[in-house]
Amino acid sequence: MIWTDTLGALVAAFFIISVFTMLWKDNPVFRLGQQAVIGAATAHYIVLNFTSVYKNAIIPMMGGNLLLIIPLFLGLLMYTRLKNEIAWVARYPTAVLVGVGTGVMIAGTLRGQIIDQMKNTVLDLYNSFSAGSAMNVLNATLILIGTITAITFFTFTRKHTGLLGWSAKAGRIFLMISLGANWSGELVWYATQTIGRLSYIINYVIKIVILGG
Amino acid sequence: MTKKNQTIWYKMGNIDYRWLYVLSLIGFILPVLQPLGLPVQVSSGTIGYYDAIDKLPAGSVVAVSFGASAQLLDEQEAQFLATWKILFQRDLKVLFYCPSQDGSLLLQNELGKQVIPESYGKKYGVDYVVLGYAPLGEAGEASMSINIRGVYKADWNNKPLDELPMMKDINAAKDIDLLIYFYTSCTDIEFPIRQWVTPYKMPTIVATLGCCGPMAVPYFPTQIQGFLSGSGMGTELEVHGKVPGPGALMSDAKNIGILPFLAFFVLGNLSYLGKRFKWGEVKTP
Repeated sequence: MIWTDTLGALVAAFFIISVFTMLWKDNPVFRLGQQAVIGAATAHYIVLNFTSVYKNAIIPMMGGNLLLIIPLFLGLLMYTRLKNEIAWVARYPTAVLVGVGTGVMIAGTLRGQIIDQMKNTVLDLYNSFSAGSAMNVLNATLILIGTITAITFFTFTRKHTGLLGWSAKAGRIFLMISLGANWSGELVWYATQTIGRLSYIINYVIKIVILGG
Repeated sequence: MTKKNQTIWYKMGNIDYRWLYVLSLIGFILPVLQPLGLPVQVSSGTIGYYDAIDKLPAGSVVAVSFGASAQLLDEQEAQFLATWKILFQRDLKVLFYCPSQDGSLLLQNELGKQVIPESYGKKYGVDYVVLGYAPLGEAGEASMSINIRGVYKADWNNKPLDELPMMKDINAAKDIDLLIYFYTSCTDIEFPIRQWVTPYKMPTIVATLGCCGPMAVPYFPTQIQGFLSGSGMGTELEVHGKVPGPGALMSDAKNIGILPFLAFFVLGNLSYLGKRFKWGEVKTP
């Protein structure tokens, strides 16, 4: 192992442990680690972005693809936000971005995410009845009820009383279950990150770099 | 301290949260030191993901949109290593492209080191091609599906696409048989749905973070054929596809280390309910 690898591993281990010290309480070592990570990440992405612009715009332009001047110029206009007097200029590239973005997504949204989703919600129930699987019928029924009641929760044009009120309440429960599933995913994700870094320290830094295993 | 604050419900709600960290860290570290080999149950999303690759006829073209992130490597490493192994074990043409800068860096670091295509008898340019990074976004995905050469003139080594034998007949969605979409921003599931699945009926499988799984599930199995959510489902793919990797250790540690969190959830909720409904308190007239 060359010395730069050893140094890199030890520095990485130091910053990982410095971040873990926050579990005890806020301290200068944690803040050092936090700021170093933020600084390094910012520098990393600045270099990557600059390289990307250079590779995807500057080099092709020098090769004769002069049309790329337009997006490059629009991109540069974004920086007019930095000066209040000319900040309004940035609205033009923003308008182009919003226009292209909306144009690209609108057809797919209507068909793929609204019509197809509605169709599949109903078809799932029909297919599960046809297949004769009790568990599938239960799942499909729950999805259909959850979809309808959650939509009624977001109906604000009428007061949530009577049947609409009951439906909205049920919808709120489905939404809470959905948010709970999302949050548990977040928690497990944090656990994965923690295990990954602990594994790095134990299996690489300690066992290989320090003990030479 | 008042008498009210001495009830068991208050004490339960005031346990020093650092005990949770200590207990879960112990739970995380023990399986790292000594893997336990806990059983893994393979879910329908993983089976669908595997089957979508496994059922492809020989010579099929698979596009891998590799939008992984270096900061989230631990969450996706098991997924993509297992996927690559399964792809290279089969007679498929694999086209990698990266809509994230980190994806390109990770490919450089891991493809050829962790998974070596040549050890599966694959040859660069003939069986697999890496296009590298392009700032795609949704508009870029739409362009890719229409004209790959409009987005990428050359591969990541700056070799023109027309000089790569594999790319001879590949230039649009119609030339691709399966899309594998790796992403880390939860709403990015919408990109392949809107630009590949809806207009071209492209068979698509996706791999993402654990927290993004609930947003991918509504599209399964009708619009996407399978999905992997987090390292847990990466482990499932390792088990189901018989391609061992880093996921097993991760799952063991997660299964043990998460238990203190569950215990604290129960204690916290009992404390809340006990205080709210004044369980065990003597009612004074």
